[in-house]
Amino acid sequence: MNPIYLFFHKTGSPPWFYKYSGKLIPWLWAIFLGLTVYGLYLGLVVAPADYQQGESVRIMYLHVPSAWMSMMIYGLMAIMGIIALVWRIRIMEVLVISSAPVGAAFTAMALITGSLWGRPTWGTYWVWDARLTSELVLLFLYFGVILLYNAFDEPRKAARAASLMSIVGAVNLPIIYFSVEWWNTLHQGSSMGSEGPGIHPSMLLPLLLMATATKFFYGANLLSRARLLLLKQDHRKRWVQDVLSKESN
Amino acid sequence: MSRQATGTAFVALLRRDFLLAYRRRAELLQPLVFLLVVVTLFPLGVGPSPNLLASIAPGVIWIAALLATVLSLDSLFRSDFEDGTLEQMVLSGQSLALIALARTVAHWLVAGLPIVLLSPLLAMWMNLPDEGLAILVESLIIGTPVLSLIGAIGGALTVSLKRGGQLLSLLVFPLYVPLLILATSAVSSAVVDLPYTGQLGLMTAGLIASLTLAPFATAAALKLSLN
Amino acid sequence: MSHTPFILAAYLISGVILFWAAMAPVINKRSLLRQLKARKTRMEKSQ
Repeated sequence: MNPIYLFFHKTGSPPWFYKYSGKLIPWLWAIFLGLTVYGLYLGLVVAPADYQQGESVRIMYLHVPSAWMSMMIYGLMAIMGIIALVWRIRIMEVLVISSAPVGAAFTAMALITGSLWGRPTWGTYWVWDARLTSELVLLFLYFGVILLYNAFDEPRKAARAASLMSIVGAVNLPIIYFSVEWWNTLHQGSSMGSEGPGIHPSMLLPLLLMATATKFFYGANLLSRARLLLLKQDHRKRWVQDVLSKESN
Repeated sequence: MSRQATGTAFVALLRRDFLLAYRRRAELLQPLVFLLVVVTLFPLGVGPSPNLLASIAPGVIWIAALLATVLSLDSLFRSDFEDGTLEQMVLSGQSLALIALARTVAHWLVAGLPIVLLSPLLAMWMNLPDEGLAILVESLIIGTPVLSLIGAIGGALTVSLKRGGQLLSLLVFPLYVPLLILATSAVSSAVVDLPYTGQLGLMTAGLIASLTLAPFATAAALKLSLN
Repeated sequence: MSHTPFILAAYLISGVILFWAAMAPVINKRSLLRQLKARKTRMEKSQ
């Protein structure tokens, strides 16, 4: 049988997924930590302060990667949601709903770091600029998916509803983003510059390192949450009983 | 299903929805009264300064329209869900998207259109200049159907939940953001003699897009909620 | 205005958020396994 097909077929099996994701997770954490330590070292110690913004630019190494993740995760949720709904693959449903809290966490992180970056740089904690506003709407979209999932009694139905909502939200997300960006140019108060004309290479590397690191965080956290959800949903099944006896030793 | 059967089904559904709406007219007035009350609260809250009210008028009226629509959406599918009619509709073999569309059209005629008709009154209360009124009405004519279409998706997703109403609003408000931005911008631009046709054009594009896509999402959500 | 408290706050809060996100499934898994084990021993005892 085609090995790729076989692989995907196996990942659909909860005990197989549980076992092999468990092996993968420590590596993902290790890579995350390694990239983060190196990236933060480069960003906080080696890289210079910004010409215009001063030291506060160091917040960028948190703010930009988390903002990127907030959008990437929502996009992934939508894609996985389509697979889950069309092909009824349970593991995809689990991955969709396990991604939501991680995405929400990154969104909150982007908002808070953005706010703290704004205060020393542009004088205010909050401003209705295009990016912050879209991020806030994105946070509400995440909350909506999470709350919708928790409102249902039956887990698989809940996951399918959450998947549908992610897809609807994802379709609207570009529209929301562009409309907010356009709205912002209309109501331009003080000029909220972005990172400036271009990014200095000594800042680019730590930024990319942190961006990559966050992806490994997502991977590790996602698998961790997915495993927990599978245990919870399958707690009556044999494979969970086996896990139970194995992990108590 | 033959083309004729589908058309007949659509009309039959609309007729049924109107009959049901007529029987519950008091209930349907609630969101509209809410609309009036909410708009009234703004002068009470921010002061009656005519310039201030005029400057926030497009936003206030549109937000009140959003709130009133969301209130009327919760019961969109609920009674049919509870007495089993919805299940029968799904089993009937008719295109579920068409059924969803029929329900949405009925909702707009009963809940959205009255908002359009009340808007001149709201515009007067909020001191919206005359140049803005025509565009306000236009924006509502284009926009309220979109509110119904997208809102139906939320209504279908939450119909099987006991306290679906609050969640419905939370799900649907972020999706309404682009509409709100475009509509209020159109009206504000019209007031100061700036171009507004672009905004209305985009809103119309949004209407066409929702008209073609939303019923399918609503149908999927209904199927989901029923299982 | 010194930028340091803002930078510190940003990194601290981010750390807390990510730490919570990472730890939540670990803690929940431990308590879930504990619950399931307790239920298992209860069922075995009653037989």
